[in-house]
Amino acid sequence: MTSETITSDVVVSPQHTRGIIKSRGVGALSGRVLVWIVLTVFGILSVVPMIWLVLAPSKTAQQLNNNPPFSFGSFAQYGVTWSNLLSQNNGVILNWMANSVIYTASIVLISCVTAVLAGYALAATALPFKRVLLIITLVAMIIPPVALVVPLFVEISAIGLYDNPISVILTSSFYPFGVFLAYIYFSNSIPVELYEAAKVDGAGEFATFFRIALPLSRGLFGMLAFFSFSAAWVNYFLPYVLLQTQQNFNLSVGLGFLFTSSPALNPQNGAQQSLIGRPEIALASLFLAIPVLIVFIASSRLLVRGVLAGAVKS
Amino acid sequence: MARSRTTRRSLIAGSIMFAPYLILLALFGVWPIVQAVLVSFQPTVVNPAGGLQNFADVVVDARFVPALLNVIVFLAMYVPAMLIVVSLMSLLLDTVQGRWNLPLRLSYIVPASMTGATAVLIWYFMLEPSLSPYQGALHALGITQGNQIWRQGGLAWIFVAMAFFVGAGNWIVVQYGSLQSISDDILEAARIDGANAWQIGLRIKLPLIRKYLVYMGILVFAAGLQVFIEPQLISGSVYTGIARDWSLNQLSYDLAFQNNNLAGSAALSLMLLVVCIVAAIIVIFRTDFFEGTGVAKHDK
Amino acid sequence: MKRLAVALVAVMALGVALAGCSSGGTSASGKPSILIWVDTPRIPQATEYQKEMKGKVDVKIETIAQADAQTKIALANRAKKGWPDVIFGTAADTAVFRDPSNGYAADLTKLVPKKIFDGFGEGNSDCLFDGKYYCLKNDLANTVLWYNTKIFKELGLTVPTTMQEFADTAMKLQGTGYSAGAYGDQLYYAAFLQSSECPLAQLTAPNTVRIAPSDPKCTRVAKLIQPLLDAGVIDKRSPFDAGFIKDVAAQDKVAMTIGPSWWGDFVIRPAASWNVPAGEIAAANMPAWGSGNDNKSGAYGGGVFTVSSHAKFPQAAADAAVWMTTSDWMATAATTPTFPAYGPANKLWEARISKDPYYANNVYTAMAAGANNISQVDRPVRFPFVAQFGPTLAADIVNGKSLTTALDDYAKSLQNLAPQTGYKVITK
Repeated sequence: MTSETITSDVVVSPQHTRGIIKSRGVGALSGRVLVWIVLTVFGILSVVPMIWLVLAPSKTAQQLNNNPPFSFGSFAQYGVTWSNLLSQNNGVILNWMANSVIYTASIVLISCVTAVLAGYALAATALPFKRVLLIITLVAMIIPPVALVVPLFVEISAIGLYDNPISVILTSSFYPFGVFLAYIYFSNSIPVELYEAAKVDGAGEFATFFRIALPLSRGLFGMLAFFSFSAAWVNYFLPYVLLQTQQNFNLSVGLGFLFTSSPALNPQNGAQQSLIGRPEIALASLFLAIPVLIVFIASSRLLVRGVLAGAVKS
Repeated sequence: MARSRTTRRSLIAGSIMFAPYLILLALFGVWPIVQAVLVSFQPTVVNPAGGLQNFADVVVDARFVPALLNVIVFLAMYVPAMLIVVSLMSLLLDTVQGRWNLPLRLSYIVPASMTGATAVLIWYFMLEPSLSPYQGALHALGITQGNQIWRQGGLAWIFVAMAFFVGAGNWIVVQYGSLQSISDDILEAARIDGANAWQIGLRIKLPLIRKYLVYMGILVFAAGLQVFIEPQLISGSVYTGIARDWSLNQLSYDLAFQNNNLAGSAALSLMLLVVCIVAAIIVIFRTDFFEGTGVAKHDK
Repeated sequence: MKRLAVALVAVMALGVALAGCSSGGTSASGKPSILIWVDTPRIPQATEYQKEMKGKVDVKIETIAQADAQTKIALANRAKKGWPDVIFGTAADTAVFRDPSNGYAADLTKLVPKKIFDGFGEGNSDCLFDGKYYCLKNDLANTVLWYNTKIFKELGLTVPTTMQEFADTAMKLQGTGYSAGAYGDQLYYAAFLQSSECPLAQLTAPNTVRIAPSDPKCTRVAKLIQPLLDAGVIDKRSPFDAGFIKDVAAQDKVAMTIGPSWWGDFVIRPAASWNVPAGEIAAANMPAWGSGNDNKSGAYGGGVFTVSSHAKFPQAAADAAVWMTTSDWMATAATTPTFPAYGPANKLWEARISKDPYYANNVYTAMAAGANNISQVDRPVRFPFVAQFGPTLAADIVNGKSLTTALDDYAKSLQNLAPQTGYKVITK
């Protein structure tokens, strides 16, 4: 469920082109048809919920319940839905959006910088206890972040950062997977001769890092930022526990809060006293989903082409 | 002499570069675990003496076994479903190079943008027979009422569906990427030997990306073990409290913040953590996934 | 080690230039500032209070999901900060908050004028713990019999006054397509178990609770209601279930249902809910289980306002709780669907609802008759009495298990949870 899901070889693999398998006879042809059907159906199933989600805020709550699922309401209704959403606690949704942007940007920045530095240190310097540090990093990379939420809460409240956005930013910036990616990249993808040559020229570690390694790491940064972003933007459990004040929520926690406190899906919450209904929840969901979608689509080539190709071409 | 000075300078520089991450690792990776161990032995309402008894208390809590069973059923469906579908789809995708490959991949990652509350909202609509676009399919399955699905026995299926759709697309794209790293020579050789597409897929490609699939399986397992958001959110919706304490992580959360039993919560967190760490150690030392990364002693 | 951690985090925090402002405390002008947490239905009255106090007290409002109240306070207790000054919740929440292990709830006995408590009469009894008041009751949510006069006339039915008559009347609906209500949620407890005085949270001593599902007052409920469920004249779904609303309630097919006093304006009437046309719905007294005193009502909801013992401005916070529960504005607003617990406010509310042309009779009469006759057997307790309805009682009913099994599962879960909050449990 996390997005930290890429494997080392993917990162470094250049693109291959694969010849289309030649079809031989009727059996092979029907096989190809079957393949296309499976691929297409899976694609349609994947896209259907998003289409529904895009259409939902164009309808009133009544229309959403009574009209066909894929009917369109009106463009004007998007505006109505949006102003209903703004009615929640004096437009707190705007705070949530701004927070999501600020938190995510900070997390991506801190996590990527620390990961690149640490990955380089592991790969190319005489750092002591390398093997132990690497193993701890690998273990940390496999443990899902959710596992430590309660202990993290205890720690954060003990040091007085409860309900402070800094707690969310710092805890989410711990990025062992990024360190691993950077380590693999610096040890496999950049020829050792490059570092050696620089050092022979009398450059120190920092100079080598900034002059040789960093300029070749643009693709690596893209990859690291991609995974860091996709985890940070939808971050739910940690901020849900660490933040108390509504103005401090990110969009993901805010949406969860709307979901449980509004009458949209729980009529006991008072349909007469709140303008937040199902179309409003759907619109808030869209605000959460669209940036992820854009980033995913923009990065999909990167995912397959791999870092090396990107770095060499840049 | 000059060499050792260089090494010392490199050591210092490396340490400085590693330090920011090390601080985060110590504060948010190691220290919480140390703290959880300390807290887990503290006295509780039911066990004023504290100590190891806290772990036993959690296990005999009436909510523990049902939650454990829920999570086991969830994992038993979720992990194989991911492995099978992701392998199959990435293999199929690999056979259709050309202009339609990219649009297909893009469509598969669309659901990954709909996590948490969004997923719960969407699945509520997809599975409520009076509102669903799949009304016909639901009716064909004999489901005419929402409560036929939104019930104890059906919840595991629903959470599997939610988690599956959020995760599968990304993994398909990633494993498709793994397939691209297979050398063309191997595939060409197989083709010359007269292997058909199925045989190449199952006998050649699949074994070659096996280690990535194992790695994925472990990550998916570790994440699934900690399932929390979906059952927690659905409990705050129409079916109030339906999935209360459904998963072990929810129980841990409730122990801490409903029952005022932080020690029990820490104990449960640690038990889950141990399972994850064991899984991590298996993947690091018992599979070939991290071969050549400097982890194993025999690596250079 | 901890100090080291503090220092390290502080250093890192400096690097991240971010203004994380926390709430509460004195505002710049020096006037009191309070933070109020309410659920969505209480937003209008909180907003009005904010308006009225402008220039005197800075009132901040945040919405919460009612089910999260205890968790959120527990989080704040752990962090030793972030408490709201006033919180809306249930009396059971207050039972937790006033416990020394929690300590959030302030004793209101001195902060609130005696004439206010007098005005509540018996209405505030849920807030009385060991002789002290720890909250103020917003509304009374006693159950009454809601019935549809049009359907009753069409079928020639008479309004039941006892539970036996309720069952007999319900059986007459068989085959007509009409329903006697849906009970697959907390309502089954409030309408039947609680009114029958089935002991599920009976405090026999301060920290001793009796949870006895085999008591005759419990078993008689399943005996009477199970046949209705089997015959399909009452629905096993939740009254809020989308399918039930679409197929039954919004088709104007509910002939009668037991439901709390707030249901008329909140569930039965709104277009987005049951959408029952005007002029059809009436309320009658809660059907009695037996004779004499065996005529209690149940309660579904009935919120309270609790004040924080950590409040910087305790008086301002207590005043807010008083206004929220007693003000004329709250009593007369169209957005108040609930039966005010405070006597004088209740009178104003009566003036509005009794003349409401939507209803076919004066629904206030039945509400008032049951308001001071709510069963006092089950008391607010520290274990999650209400939250456990969802995964056990309600889930079992919805899943078609027998009512006896549903009750046993629920009672067993309480028997397991009660000791964890320091209660001794009696099961007989």
